[in-house]
Amino acid sequence: MAKLVSLISGGIDSPVAAYLMLRRGVDLVAVHMDNRPFTDEKNLNKTLRLIRHLQNLTQRPIRTYVVPHGPNHIAFARNCERHLHCLFCRRMMYRIAERIAQKEGADGILTGESLGQVASQTLQNLMVENQVIRVPVVRPLIGLDKVEIIEIARKIGTYEISTLPSLCCTIVPKKPSTAARASDLHDEEQKIDLGALIEKSLGGMYVLDPEAL
Amino acid sequence: MYSILKPCKTSAAFEAIPRDRLSLDLDQCEEILRNVCTIVTNAGILLIVNDRCEVSIHKDGRLILKTDSNDLAAEQAARIAGWLEGTPALRKPPQSTRPGE
Repeated sequence: MAKLVSLISGGIDSPVAAYLMLRRGVDLVAVHMDNRPFTDEKNLNKTLRLIRHLQNLTQRPIRTYVVPHGPNHIAFARNCERHLHCLFCRRMMYRIAERIAQKEGADGILTGESLGQVASQTLQNLMVENQVIRVPVVRPLIGLDKVEIIEIARKIGTYEISTLPSLCCTIVPKKPSTAARASDLHDEEQKIDLGALIEKSLGGMYVLDPEAL
Repeated sequence: MYSILKPCKTSAAFEAIPRDRLSLDLDQCEEILRNVCTIVTNAGILLIVNDRCEVSIHKDGRLILKTDSNDLAAEQAARIAGWLEGTPALRKPPQSTRPGE
């Protein structure tokens, strides 16, 4: 049986992606990157409610990890080019998810990305995000538009949870890069100790039981 | 200084928009505000907590106020504006002018 590490936020897309793969019989390990203090606790709460909903809907257990990501944002914001911030953030998420995939014996990473939906999800950006990991990234929503994703979310009952009030990430730059170059990202990332940040994130990681909400 | 307060799309916070174009020196803001509130972090945006209300201060003067209360958001925005107004932390960039204006 295939197993994927599912990056789950409290938004609309990632729970839909998770549902589609659960429906195909794939086992999931959920990872929520906790962006506090640049978001609020409502995002974490929504994520756990979404995972609980998916578990009930599919009758499949989903082991759920929460990883502190705020300190990574601070390191990038203080040391690296602001307009590349979302790329640094996502590359970091991928690196951490890959490590969790190794620990859990998973075959790849699952995300809710769909092409062109936000600045970080252009083809060029997705390519430079992929370059930092070796495991495959599964993107079941890549060709769907927002209306189609919302339609599925409504059908499976996640839309109402995903659209509960919460705070969007406040550290997103005003003009995020839509066409980042790998060499620029690499040069900027040399300014910080990536390895130490990854270890610290994994050290602060904890398991949460969505049923305990 | 802040004339508009509107809820964010997600409704979990309010946004205070400066009436005029502003430019904030966040390091100087931090120096000033640390005497009156708690600084959470200064990293591209300045995060503070004042009276249990978390506020993100952006370089362009925008404030994101984590509260469900419109009144509290307005009060906090006015208070922060009062602390910063007239200090070197706050600059009003010259308005761009077009030929003939």
